Amino acid sequence: MTARFRLRQALVIARLEMKRVFLARRSLWIYALAMLPAVLFLGHAIQLRYELREARQGGVVAPAVIETVETGMSEQQVLDVAGKPGQDRERTIRRSSRREEQGKEIFETREVRTRRMIYFDGSRRAYLWFEDGRLQSKDVRTLLNFAEDQEVYAGVFQYFYLRLAIFFGCLGIFLNLFRGEMMDKTLHFWLLAPARREVLLAGKFLAGWTAASVVFSAGALVAFAAMLWPHIGAGAEAYWQGAGAGHAARYALAAVMGCAGYGSLFLAASLWIRNPIVPAAVLLLWEASSGFLPELLQKFSVLYYLQSMCPVPAPLEQDVPALLRLILAPAAPLSPTLALLGLCAFSALVLWGAAAGVRRIEINYSTD
Amino acid sequence: MAVYKRGYQRYEGPRAPHAERLLVLPREAWRRLTAQRIVTALLALSCIWPLLCALFIYIANHAELWAGLDRGFSRLLAIDETFILTFMKVQSVFSVLLAALAGPGLISPDLGNQGLALYFSRPISRLEYVLAKMAALVWLLSLVTWLPGLVLFVMQASMAEAGWALAHWRLGAGLVLGFWLWVALVALVALASSAWVRWRLIAGAVVLGFFFVLPGIGVLVNAIFRVAWGSLINPLQAAYGVWCALLGAEMPAGLSLLTGLVSLALMGTLLSLALERKLRPVEVVR
Amino acid sequence: MSAQEIVFENVSKFYGDVLGVNRIELRIPPGLTSIVGPNGAGKSTLMNLMCGLIHPDRGEIRVLGISPRDPERLMRMTGYATQFDAAPRWATGFDFVVSSLLLFGYSSSLAERLAWAALEQAGLTDAARRKVNSYSKGMRQRVRLAQALAHDPQVLVLDEPLNGLDPVVRAETIALFRQLAASGRHVILSSHVLQEVDVISDRVVLMANGMIVAEGDIRGVREEIHEHPSQFLIRCRQPARLAALLFERAPVAEARVIEEDGALLVLTRDRNVFTRTLTALAASGLDIESVVPADENVHALYEYLVGGSA
Repeated sequence: MTARFRLRQALVIARLEMKRVFLARRSLWIYALAMLPAVLFLGHAIQLRYELREARQGGVVAPAVIETVETGMSEQQVLDVAGKPGQDRERTIRRSSRREEQGKEIFETREVRTRRMIYFDGSRRAYLWFEDGRLQSKDVRTLLNFAEDQEVYAGVFQYFYLRLAIFFGCLGIFLNLFRGEMMDKTLHFWLLAPARREVLLAGKFLAGWTAASVVFSAGALVAFAAMLWPHIGAGAEAYWQGAGAGHAARYALAAVMGCAGYGSLFLAASLWIRNPIVPAAVLLLWEASSGFLPELLQKFSVLYYLQSMCPVPAPLEQDVPALLRLILAPAAPLSPTLALLGLCAFSALVLWGAAAGVRRIEINYSTD
Repeated sequence: MAVYKRGYQRYEGPRAPHAERLLVLPREAWRRLTAQRIVTALLALSCIWPLLCALFIYIANHAELWAGLDRGFSRLLAIDETFILTFMKVQSVFSVLLAALAGPGLISPDLGNQGLALYFSRPISRLEYVLAKMAALVWLLSLVTWLPGLVLFVMQASMAEAGWALAHWRLGAGLVLGFWLWVALVALVALASSAWVRWRLIAGAVVLGFFFVLPGIGVLVNAIFRVAWGSLINPLQAAYGVWCALLGAEMPAGLSLLTGLVSLALMGTLLSLALERKLRPVEVVR
Repeated sequence: MSAQEIVFENVSKFYGDVLGVNRIELRIPPGLTSIVGPNGAGKSTLMNLMCGLIHPDRGEIRVLGISPRDPERLMRMTGYATQFDAAPRWATGFDFVVSSLLLFGYSSSLAERLAWAALEQAGLTDAARRKVNSYSKGMRQRVRLAQALAHDPQVLVLDEPLNGLDPVVRAETIALFRQLAASGRHVILSSHVLQEVDVISDRVVLMANGMIVAEGDIRGVREEIHEHPSQFLIRCRQPARLAALLFERAPVAEARVIEEDGALLVLTRDRNVFTRTLTALAASGLDIESVVPADENVHALYEYLVGGSA
């Protein structure tokens, strides 16, 4: 048999398998996982657009005006400086207070006149809170902050996509390729084909990799587009013509390579170990702690290579729970090209190990 | 000829009490759990941290061992809410891993083999079935959570000066109560995934996913919308908030005891409903 | 090793502590061979070993000179209709057969043509476009047969192929097996229903508890069992008289007259002398309608060899 014939066989296997991977009901949660950030970014974009339209309708002030306003100013002073606010609402509330007088606690209730004014300077919203005519607090929130949104996206991609969605998605897809068929009692269909076991492995890996890559890179790109959407007309075009397209391509590539790395690992685990959940849990913890490991050991983690491919470093959240923070320690970076080559080599090595596993696999439906 | 006419007679002899009969289920479930070598291995592994904590308590209560060291070190050795929280956080990870390994095998084989109809044709209600299955898992999780925690508390109380236990009763009560809530949540997640996912491996992954992906989604919501309510779908943060409140520790930002409890109660309700929906004595013909 | 035979040399297979097959020495020539034995005898294990779905712990297997560890060559000339009832969820009967043919490297059009031919042979043309999951047990059996036949293999391995088939299809399928065997192919089928293979097989392999207890053509196997007398059922007008004559002239161990059938059941320890005597009696004018060996069937052999009904 020629190599070309075997390649053709692998492609036939991949084509047949892809139908199963893409259309299976048990794959639906993977689509949901991949598209969730896109849906959230889209929701955020719609919310921003609505808020911007509302803010613009109330009029726009110069950015310096917001800086001028300080707590302690009277309503009239603010109105003199900033003019008519975009939104203005007055209310009277009852407030209870407690004081001590000659060792006794005295409770008092009094009426407080409050007023909330909102000003908009084209990108920031200032919420001014007055009590009894004096400015008590000034809360300035940036509605359109492209740099912040890019950083949020970088965080979402590295923390959610790479560490969770692609990890668990590949766990589902690649375990299903052999162990799933063993459970469905259909694996013999493939083992009775006139094909080498390695060709079968290649075909199935190709199917899983293609499906996972399409789902997760598409999810990442749609989320990227949804992140850019509210900034169209406010810097997004320039960004796209500059580094943006390259960034999008690198995110997509990182997703594709993430699927290759995790996919090969889970495929190999499913061939060598009857209960791959144990190695999956170990891998999750290993990947999580990769940032703390020595340089040499870091190279044995998929995340090490993936993080180096990402164009924007992800911020480290401070208020996340300790268990999750354990997962969030960044690994030392590598050049993107080296990372790509390293990950290819890593995946090839793991698949070579998987090939040894597929040669010894036997049909044993009763115990799985 | 009908069977009963051939001399069939209903058994009229002595029978075990109802409660004792119910124990058959958890006993069998426990036997199956402990038959898995990996569960036993993980159980042994999860004892390492409590042992280290016990060593820590011993050192903290023997001033002569660190007499020459500075005051900062003595502050580090305090057995307080931070120590208990650290212990709880580590053991909670082990409890999730144990549930992911042991939990899926509890209900899915009964469903897969059409066994529910057999169970429910006996005098066993659905609630009793769930509680019986849960009991085995709860006992397993207790072995790595509140039981070693309680032992540590008692150990500290016996080594510390008189009155320590009374002055710090909240640590012990908070630890036990906090872990009870946690164990109930973890057991519910494991049972629900076991009931919904036919394949044990994937059911295990679902348990892991619940405790790792949901927090991720919570952080995602908070980061994208710049809000704090995303933490409500984060079981780890909700439980952590409740533990902090019970132990009297500083609460994490944007969380209160009430929101933590409401979040956990909502998750518990949804998981119970998921279980209720799946556990029906019907035969599914495929 | 012969390139024309399927050869098992000292083959053993264990599933953990459970015995699959033990020390199998077997050579299967072309023709229709039946592997017979009760459930758990090791029939499917033997077939799975033959087709590489499982690997032996000890010993060697060659199928027409090819190792089952080389599926690329083996499955090109082997078709295996397994006992596993499940089919891929996505597959219709037609897809199921076509997809396996595509893996042989056939073009789509050729694969489709071969698939239709195989489905027609299996009598499944009408249901070809339906999902296999919706098929009845008999239809699933037929679609597996179609898949095994589609690439015209030299070796056809069929695990309980007649299970679930209705009588008409059963007869057609048996005829097909006979036709394939007659054309020089290896047709190896397993069954636990002894009567069914008794009628169709050239040779049988009797298995029990993971071991081969006998093999060969049914008569040959029977002749080697000396401790059990041979049985003949003779239909004649005067069974009582015939019995008396046979007791006088031949080594008859037992004779029983079956009144309602007008027949005589005779047990003899020397078949040759007995048949010669019977021929002489018939020639002398005794009216004998028919003589049928009563224990040259697999069921009887099984009873003798294993001591229990399959």
